Amino acid sequence: MPSLLEMRGIVRSFGALRANDGVDLDVQSGQILGLLGENGSGKSTLMKVLFGMLPPDSGTIVFRGHELSHHHPAEAMAAGIAMIHQHFMLIDAMTVVENVMLCWPQAGRVLKTADMAARVREASRRFGLDLDPDALVASLPLGRRQRVEILKAILREAELLILDEPTSNLAPTEIADLLTILRRLRAEGKGIIFISHKLPEVLELCDEVVVLRDGRVSGRAPVAGASRAQLAHMMVGRDLVRSHVPPHHALGAVRLSVKDLAAAGFGPLTLDVRGGEILGVAGVDGNGQIEFVEALAGLRPVGAGTIVIDRCDVAHASVAARMRAGMAYIPADRSATALVRRMSVAENLMLRDSNHSPYAKGPLLVRGPAVAKALELMAEYDIRASGPGTVVMRLSGGNQQKIVVARELDRAPAVLVAHQAAWGLDPGATRFVLDRMIALRAAGAAVVYVSSELEEVLEISDRIAVIANGRFAGETPRAEVDLRQIGIWMAGRAA
Amino acid sequence: MSNPASSLPAPASEQIRKPPRYNSFRLQLRDNLAWRILAAVVLSMLCAAALIALSGHNPLTAFAAMAVGAVGSPHQIGAALNRTTPYLLAGSGVAMCFRAGIINIGAEGQIAVGGIGATAVALIWPSALPELAIAASLLAAAATGAVWAGIATAIHLGRRVHEVLATLLLNFIALLLVKQMLVRPLGQFGAGFLQSPQLPAATRLWRIPEVDAHFGIVITVIIAAGLSFVLWRTRFGFALRVAGNSRPAAAYAGFSLPRLTWSVMLLAGAVAGLAGGIEVLGVHRRLIEGFSLGFGFKAVTVALLGALEPMAVIPASLFVGLLEAGSLSMQRQIGVPSALVVVIEGLTMLFVLAATVRRV
Repeated sequence: MPSLLEMRGIVRSFGALRANDGVDLDVQSGQILGLLGENGSGKSTLMKVLFGMLPPDSGTIVFRGHELSHHHPAEAMAAGIAMIHQHFMLIDAMTVVENVMLCWPQAGRVLKTADMAARVREASRRFGLDLDPDALVASLPLGRRQRVEILKAILREAELLILDEPTSNLAPTEIADLLTILRRLRAEGKGIIFISHKLPEVLELCDEVVVLRDGRVSGRAPVAGASRAQLAHMMVGRDLVRSHVPPHHALGAVRLSVKDLAAAGFGPLTLDVRGGEILGVAGVDGNGQIEFVEALAGLRPVGAGTIVIDRCDVAHASVAARMRAGMAYIPADRSATALVRRMSVAENLMLRDSNHSPYAKGPLLVRGPAVAKALELMAEYDIRASGPGTVVMRLSGGNQQKIVVARELDRAPAVLVAHQAAWGLDPGATRFVLDRMIALRAAGAAVVYVSSELEEVLEISDRIAVIANGRFAGETPRAEVDLRQIGIWMAGRAA
Repeated sequence: MSNPASSLPAPASEQIRKPPRYNSFRLQLRDNLAWRILAAVVLSMLCAAALIALSGHNPLTAFAAMAVGAVGSPHQIGAALNRTTPYLLAGSGVAMCFRAGIINIGAEGQIAVGGIGATAVALIWPSALPELAIAASLLAAAATGAVWAGIATAIHLGRRVHEVLATLLLNFIALLLVKQMLVRPLGQFGAGFLQSPQLPAATRLWRIPEVDAHFGIVITVIIAAGLSFVLWRTRFGFALRVAGNSRPAAAYAGFSLPRLTWSVMLLAGAVAGLAGGIEVLGVHRRLIEGFSLGFGFKAVTVALLGALEPMAVIPASLFVGLLEAGSLSMQRQIGVPSALVVVIEGLTMLFVLAATVRRV
């Protein structure tokens, strides 16, 4: 029997980066294929190529015996491919049946709402979707909204469903319901591509998994018989990167002590970081990292627990008070939080320090010393801009991040919390950022380096903790790292 | 503006490589913004010329009549300056709010209640203290304007009502409040119109000799310059600009967004209220129903025309003031309806918005 979908030798480059480098992918009718891979491994690109959102540089796609090339999403849908995005494409202010009818010729020029509602009810019963056609989408919980998307796919007679991280926003019971629905679809002979970071779900649901790494298929295995450890290795597996941290030196006293910290999205988390130590927090994105670091930095309210910097509890202190206590923070969101893109290099260098010298005298800003300070920092941190007045959005990502690093490190902080500090930077700039973290460690600060790039974490940490589902799944000194174990922790199961 | 290079410790060679300039901070005037706004004004005038031509008049004659009407005599210049004053005051306050990312379109109501405040204090001020009457009335105007803006802010921050809605709707209440005040406590009995009694002579604003403009224009220019200073040279102004560019960045920088909102709204309310007070004390000499009509709304146009820079709001409001003062004379002289000015103002607004749209 021919495959439902055959993708052969898909290549797609973005500049010098080969996001897909000769990927083959097969899906059969009545099969659920798990597509795994870290961030940036090429999963999304591959799916966009399949769905016609990006043209491939080379390679062929054959779906139900017909070749798809130069197609648009509309043609992919007409051919029977449905994509269910992580963020649903629904109109909240409309009812379920209205959303189903949207952009669907069969709904008729004069909308046949009653007919459509009956079909919605029928399909909803058959697949156990439990959807009321007249319910307003805005009133539905996220799990139900997702079912509306699935329902749209079913009614449009899609033969292949692509689900991109379908469980990331769902509660556990909703996840269980979703898996049941997907099994029913499989029983009806549909093919499904299930993209996920979460190994337990994949093992529970899928028939076969394909693992992408660096744009290539790094592993392909039937789920029956595969162990979690094997899958984790396929996903994370790589040669152990060399540590770039100078060998162990004397650790100072505990400078950051977090105890039972909890808020929406994570916790309780407990950790101690000593002066001269870098704690790397690894983990797949979306496991509570952003909530955790923002709670540390004071940008989110803390539910419970303490954050002690050099014996001073700042759990409920303002952002400014935390800075005074010695906390520096490099947010992951460079374009809107860490920097003001439309303001100058000089103004961004003083963003969090505008209330004291050399930038201010009383309520007034002093420009001469501020410009002098900016020039000094630009030289020290090698920020390449035509002058301190250059608007930041004209700079490269690397130079932008150097501004953030310069500002946060110049304060000689006791504690630095860095989140995805090397995200999107070229190798040279990444090196620069990591070296600065190491220099800060040598100066006796405590550093918490949170990143979903395991490689970076391995490179600079003295100790590595893995966060999964908002809690630490495990922790290990750098010297004793076992990648298999880290993979299992990342997959959401404590050892 | 002075040269900061003298205060720099950096070596001379360094300065040649990276010349630091004070103006380097003023990025908002980049990309030829001034030229683009000027082009928008010229375009709107050309469109107006076409409309005049369509109505069977010579556009050049019409514009000449308008120019003579605006600046033809000292007296007419004075009238134009009086007209400019409320636009400049309210417009520079609105510009501060917009800079902070707060869309305050409540200047209309703040002007109106400012008029009430000024009238009430002027009428009850003890005649034994005539030298303080003007200051007290104008302070009362600023205070009532600030209170009105404060109500909008409380609704916005406390109940999460969008600031556009809160400020806009309060305008209509303020206009009705003026009417109510003129019916009961402040009204002149048996006048036949809704108006207050004439204000005491002690509250008469000093007038600039020759041109016969009240000295409100002087206060106003000083205030606009002061607001510009606050915006560019103070920590508060820096926080406003950061918040206006990115709210997450302002929170990250440790600025309190509610506090910033309160401060800038009260500030804008105070200057708009002051505009109402000056209008009452300097022009009408009494509170009249509808005295504020349109000033507050057009203040938004003027603020945008001035690229949200209080100093640039000075020429922007002067433009609108001259236009409006000249239009009446154009109507008298050659019969082109003065409503044409409304068309020009509307077109200018559209062209300026198109010319200054922020590219992401």
